[in-house]
Amino acid sequence: MEKINFKVNGVLKTVEIEGYESLLDILREKFNLTGTKRGCDDGSCGACTVIVNGEAVKSCIFSAKKVDNAEVITIEGLAKNGELHPIQKAMIDSGAVQCGYCTPGIIMELYSLFNKNLDVDEEQIIEALSKHLCRCTGYESILDGAKLAQKYLKEK
Amino acid sequence: MSNYSYIGKNIKRPDAVNKVTGKAIFLDDIKIPNMLYAEILTPPYAHAKILSIDTSEAEKMEGVVKVVTGKNCKFTYGDCIKDRYPMAVDKVRYIGEAVAAVIADTPHNAKQAVKKIKVEYEKLPVYTDALDSLKDDAVLIHEKNGEYWHLPSYKPIPNTNIANYYVLKKGNFDEALKEAEVVVEGEFNTKFGSSSAIEPHGTIAWFHEDNTIEIWSSSICPAIIQDDIARTYGVPASNVRVHIPEIGGCFGYKSDVTIEQTVAYIASHMKGYPVKWVASRKEDYTSSLIGHGARIKMKIGAKRDGQLVFIQSKVYHSTGAYADTGVNITMAATHTVGVYEFPYALCEGYTVYTNTPPVGAFRGYGYQYAHLAVERLMDILARKLGMDKFELREKNYLRKDKKFATGEVFNEDYGDIKKCSDAIKNIIFEKEKPKEDENYFYGRGFAAVVKAPKGASNSSKGCYVKFNGDGSVSVNMGGAEVGQGLRTVIQQIAAETLKIDIEKIHCYTEIDTQYSPWEWQTIGSMFTVQGGRALIRACEKAIDKLLENASLALRVDKDMLEYDGEKIFLKHNPNIFVKIVDLVRGYMHEDGVTVGEVIQATSDARLPRYSNPDPETGMGNLGVSYTFGAQGCEIRIDKKTGEVIIDNFASAFDIGKVINPVQLRGQIVGGVMIGIGGTLYEELKFNKDGRLINPHFSSYRFPTIKEMPKKYEVVFIETPESIGPYGARGIGEHPVLGVAPAILNAIYDAIGVDLYEVPISKEKMLELIKDKTKEKAGV
Ligand code: FES
Ligand code: FES
Repeated sequence: MEKINFKVNGVLKTVEIEGYESLLDILREKFNLTGTKRGCDDGSCGACTVIVNGEAVKSCIFSAKKVDNAEVITIEGLAKNGELHPIQKAMIDSGAVQCGYCTPGIIMELYSLFNKNLDVDEEQIIEALSKHLCRCTGYESILDGAKLAQKYLKEK
Repeated sequence: MSNYSYIGKNIKRPDAVNKVTGKAIFLDDIKIPNMLYAEILTPPYAHAKILSIDTSEAEKMEGVVKVVTGKNCKFTYGDCIKDRYPMAVDKVRYIGEAVAAVIADTPHNAKQAVKKIKVEYEKLPVYTDALDSLKDDAVLIHEKNGEYWHLPSYKPIPNTNIANYYVLKKGNFDEALKEAEVVVEGEFNTKFGSSSAIEPHGTIAWFHEDNTIEIWSSSICPAIIQDDIARTYGVPASNVRVHIPEIGGCFGYKSDVTIEQTVAYIASHMKGYPVKWVASRKEDYTSSLIGHGARIKMKIGAKRDGQLVFIQSKVYHSTGAYADTGVNITMAATHTVGVYEFPYALCEGYTVYTNTPPVGAFRGYGYQYAHLAVERLMDILARKLGMDKFELREKNYLRKDKKFATGEVFNEDYGDIKKCSDAIKNIIFEKEKPKEDENYFYGRGFAAVVKAPKGASNSSKGCYVKFNGDGSVSVNMGGAEVGQGLRTVIQQIAAETLKIDIEKIHCYTEIDTQYSPWEWQTIGSMFTVQGGRALIRACEKAIDKLLENASLALRVDKDMLEYDGEKIFLKHNPNIFVKIVDLVRGYMHEDGVTVGEVIQATSDARLPRYSNPDPETGMGNLGVSYTFGAQGCEIRIDKKTGEVIIDNFASAFDIGKVINPVQLRGQIVGGVMIGIGGTLYEELKFNKDGRLINPHFSSYRFPTIKEMPKKYEVVFIETPESIGPYGARGIGEHPVLGVAPAILNAIYDAIGVDLYEVPISKEKMLELIKDKTKEKAGV
């Protein structure tokens, strides 16, 4: 057992963790932040993507120990005051949500991507999205959604 | 043009906000007080006798409350053939089968303890391919084959590994052989694949002390689970309550009863406690249902002028260690002969036991294997006859008064294959093909497709429509939303039919057999057609009841009244009316006396005259509602890497009536992508010991955004279907059907090599290209 402190969606948390626990384990099991999804066990689907200190990470292969003193944002932290985040809105508007299981991870990926640089080109968007598997959409609407999100964010 | 308010509009999904905010609750998100966790032990051998199981060490581990084995298991289960054991009893038949399980307080403790269970096995020969388990000297995988209960139409062959033999016979086949002037043939193979939803399958089972049983599952078949669990545990079905939360994709393998019986068996040993098991990604591959594994030997005979005469096929389907979930897929692959009329057919299907995980539904349900064979052979036949491939096809397309191989007569409202085919011809084939250059070979391919639901003849979908006091409406149905968007379709159809603002229509969000109307299962691309029809019926009943109430309120005969969504008024004098809100709880007169019914209505709908196959000929009304389509592609093959790049993939479907264009396009391109995966990338690989060597997303690699076609084109044809709501047809599975044959036909067009097997990897492509170049150089 080891005690760590970190912020999740702006709220300070203290938690005891076991060495084998991943960030995904503690988000889901200890804080009930089940919006972050588990799709695999080897970091290859992106469903578990969250933001740690501004970077999109795959929380299933990110040791919980490493978030000590870090700032974590999950899908639950995006909508503010009952308003959807523009990326969330764009994914809906472009029809990019089918089963929705890949959606939180993809939204977090785009959140980090656009936060770092809102002027990324299509190739860079595709590069970021290629870390994510979606079995439903054939990706067309997800790419459209990403571009629409970029537009919404620029208009803001 | 029609003046619909909601049909044909891009209404946004009612569940999207919950999904983008992370609030949608999927199976693994559910926590129940006192919940325990199961971990399942699977064997190291794919076929072996169990000699002994020692659980004593595991029982002593931290957090362990119980260790369960199959030793005392007295039942088998299954919907079609009861050949499945919830946990292995005296032998194991595939790696991935449950041998024992630990129930513990945390998933971690359960995992640690399961490693301590010791099992002794005696190995038996392993077969991973139907052709091997069919050999004369093959050991039996099921000694009891033939003794298990099965649906009356099945024919298991005792003392063999054949779980079912099905034959379709149309016409006197001896005549067929005499009449045909040209014959083409091929042996096709669709290797094992996986639906691979991003959400792994999982179940929670809770046996209560009062003999009620609760199940939560990421399944699309709550009613089947309810019946099956009730039968197994000898309780009334009404004692079994099945909850279905959000489902993170299905594509087939979360249908039928799969892991639910195993988790229930485990939980039955801990009465009073909910027990949860969620597959790891690896277990999702090894221990739920996989797909495909179908070899087809096919011959097509024709006259010299291109008139088709016969089709003959033998389907050898490796359906894995248990055949319950695979048997209907073999049958579908066998009686499917594509979009053409064949005067004669002799098609035989063998459902064969193998030591691989059980095969279950996977988008296309066997139709894709037959389409691969038929559509490749049509191209080959055209070449042999020196005919244009479209001319050959057009000559033989099913149209008015032609007959399907199953004997059903084609009706014009079944759709228009020619229009679909023309659309693809225009998009893909009208322009000049680029010439081979330094880097690439270029090719174009085509395939025509058709599919009907493969269902049960009593399959139906129930609906309950309730008017609320403020005139808003709640719709409750039993259809499982897996991402296909049925909730949006429900809202649109209800709003259109009831003439009510769509904002006031609420669609159910989860299924709970305690409240949900009965639905057989949400499979076979049937929801829009059947569910939509049920919904219209319920809406019409509700309107009729409103009219009854209005007739009491206005003291006038019902037929003098008209409904417009807000009020009911006198046809000849609209100034005399009563508001809907004043009718929904009955009509209250000024003195408080209330008359009339509360406005709620139930209904259901099935496919009219859908039947079982005839025991002799295999024919029957096995389709009823068809969707026709055509698909085509432009590809490039990279000479250096062997990679097949898809520059354009075009699909045209006769959808009857488009209900929601954005959702429909999403279904089609999503299906095409699954088809591309199966054609170029995805294969579950078993070694000769029956071990799956790539049970991870990193090794079972399905397409990412980088493999997306450079362009998707989608065309909708709208020939109204008479039984579908507003003329609509089903579409869920159809987009995968033509992908493999279209790509393989394009590969022939590019390099002149006929391929018969999918997937075709880029390594294999590269070899083919090298051989080709050598051939050209005359080496
Ligand atoms: S769950 Fe983390 S990458 Fe798949
Ligand atoms: S929407 Fe289902 S996996 Fe992406």
